[in-house]
Amino acid sequence: MIEQDLKVLEEKSIFIIREAGMKFKNVAALWSMGKDSTAMLALARKAFLGKMPFPVIHIDNGIDFPETYKFRQDLAKKWKLNLIVAESEIKPDLVGSACCGKNKPETLKQVMSKYGFDALIVSIRRDEHGIRSKERYFSERDKNFRWDYKNQRAELWDDYASKLDDGGHIRVHPLLDWNEIDVWRYVKQERIPVNPLYFSRDGYRYRSLGCTHCTLPLKSDAKNVSSIIKELKTTTDEERSGRSMDKEREYVMARLRALGYM
Amino acid sequence: MKVNSIALLGHKDHGKSTLIGSLLMQTGAATKVRIKEAEAYSKRLHRPFEPAFILDSFPEERERGMTYDTTRAEIKYKGFAFSLIDVPGHEELMKNMISGASYGETALLLVSAKSGEGIRNQTQRHLFVCSMLGIKRLIVAVNKMDLVGYSQKRFDAIGKGLAGFISAMGFEKGHVRFVPISAYKGDNLTGKSSRMEWYRGKSLIEELYDNARLKHSSKKGMLRILVQGSIPSEKAGFAAGRVVSGDVKVGERVIMLPGGEHAVVKEIVVKGRRVRSAGRGDNVALGFRDRVKGDLRGSVIYPETSHQQSSARIEALIFLTKAFTKNVSIRFNGIDVKVRGMRVNRYIDTTTGRSCSSGRISPLNAVRAELRLARKIPVERFDKAMELGRFVMYNGNKFIGIGIVTAA
Repeated sequence: MIEQDLKVLEEKSIFIIREAGMKFKNVAALWSMGKDSTAMLALARKAFLGKMPFPVIHIDNGIDFPETYKFRQDLAKKWKLNLIVAESEIKPDLVGSACCGKNKPETLKQVMSKYGFDALIVSIRRDEHGIRSKERYFSERDKNFRWDYKNQRAELWDDYASKLDDGGHIRVHPLLDWNEIDVWRYVKQERIPVNPLYFSRDGYRYRSLGCTHCTLPLKSDAKNVSSIIKELKTTTDEERSGRSMDKEREYVMARLRALGYM
Repeated sequence: MKVNSIALLGHKDHGKSTLIGSLLMQTGAATKVRIKEAEAYSKRLHRPFEPAFILDSFPEERERGMTYDTTRAEIKYKGFAFSLIDVPGHEELMKNMISGASYGETALLLVSAKSGEGIRNQTQRHLFVCSMLGIKRLIVAVNKMDLVGYSQKRFDAIGKGLAGFISAMGFEKGHVRFVPISAYKGDNLTGKSSRMEWYRGKSLIEELYDNARLKHSSKKGMLRILVQGSIPSEKAGFAAGRVVSGDVKVGERVIMLPGGEHAVVKEIVVKGRRVRSAGRGDNVALGFRDRVKGDLRGSVIYPETSHQQSSARIEALIFLTKAFTKNVSIRFNGIDVKVRGMRVNRYIDTTTGRSCSSGRISPLNAVRAELRLARKIPVERFDKAMELGRFVMYNGNKFIGIGIVTAA
């Protein structure tokens, strides 16, 4: 896995987060309590004089891990986050990608419209998935949250998408350039708190965190951030191999993202 | 590790995505899952394995066998990292090509040697745009050599056919390289091919490696901070911006253009911490001795002693992807400025680089023109201050082209 220059990544992310704050009236950030969105919070604090300037949304389906809830509570307090918990109901007849594709975006739609957010910071990375690798830093979603990926706007020279007139919103992706290992190196460098589920217990750890229904731990002895970085230098496994929805038919991600999944 | 960004260029079907896919596989950068997935899809389409599918992830891209949108993939070689930027070759997708290529530092142009392919319109147009984007280093990979019997004659002919255009586009002559390859068969990608004994040069990856070792000029330059906007705080309020050249120190006297406000820097905050000075690449928050009024978005901070001026008249080289209409604006340093008028001095055919006497502005071609703007902006020549010498053109919210400033 390629380790990039953290200073370059960091400055670019700060620029993008600031740009979101300057261009849009009502910005929110998604926080799953995973490493990426937590690193994003750290970057947003750096961008805005040490304080997270935007509300933080957790789409809570009630079946996240207990460690995740504890982590949410502790960090929200420590960093004085304006946390919006949007409760999402798990429907028993929906499983796997159907569950992720329906429950989360539906809840997100409700919370976005309730608060009138016009931009949403989402901490996806290009190296996670082939579909995510085709994203822009500022990506348009129509009012139904659809991503018209066949017709993305041009994006160059620090000129990013502006507000849409049709009731849609802009997804802002400040971590698009980062690799998984860069996030961990940054977590180490900046001593960013992380969810304890990432660390090995009884020979297993979570490499990517979803809810309790669809996330499996992987074999690993990495008990701290440094060992995770070491592990990632040599691994040939995919980061999301413990996420069941990624294993379904091809294009699950394409369909999910086109429908508004993060 | 510094990542060297390489923009792939070339006409559609000349093998850009296939080349990146093959390089990812040969250098071990493609994960098993991605390869397996590309294999499965190739099989489903009843085709031999297609390395391009590692990049082309949209269903439509695979089914139609063409790249729609740009993406990037990274490889490592001898301690250097390369980010290979894939772009679509189709002329209707120039906005996506520009979006991707704009992040490149070096260009890697693909030209298919196959009979009937060769140097095509988009081969040259991509070079033209790439030169406008400020990319001055070029490697040309002559692809599909396996389909022409690895013929040296064909390779030489393509080199000769392109030489004039390449030098007219201002690429750094001493560093332009030509490599004969087969992206699909793997010839001359990461090792020398035994099927082209006549070729004395290096493999493609060795050329990328040599290129990465070339120095980039890094002139420090005069202080320039592009202001993104204001960050409110209890006491004073800060100007948030990025230093693109020079450095800034506490106590420094500055001027903000186009407003012309004078100010003294009282505080500099970088990443939430107070510092005494900041330099190129830093995103800063500046506090001033006296409150600076108004919306600072789009302003540029210069040293007070600079003689920099704002201007509402510029000369520019403009490339259009769509027709030029009456309601055009430019997006410059984060703000929109209406274009009141445009006087064309020269019409340029981007497939030849030569003037054409068509007398009208046509999509996919370029013009040298004088623009009259609705207000003054702190603009500079592109070759002097890149970030202040370029703009994106819009018709309403629709992208129609790009421009670089040749005189202000």
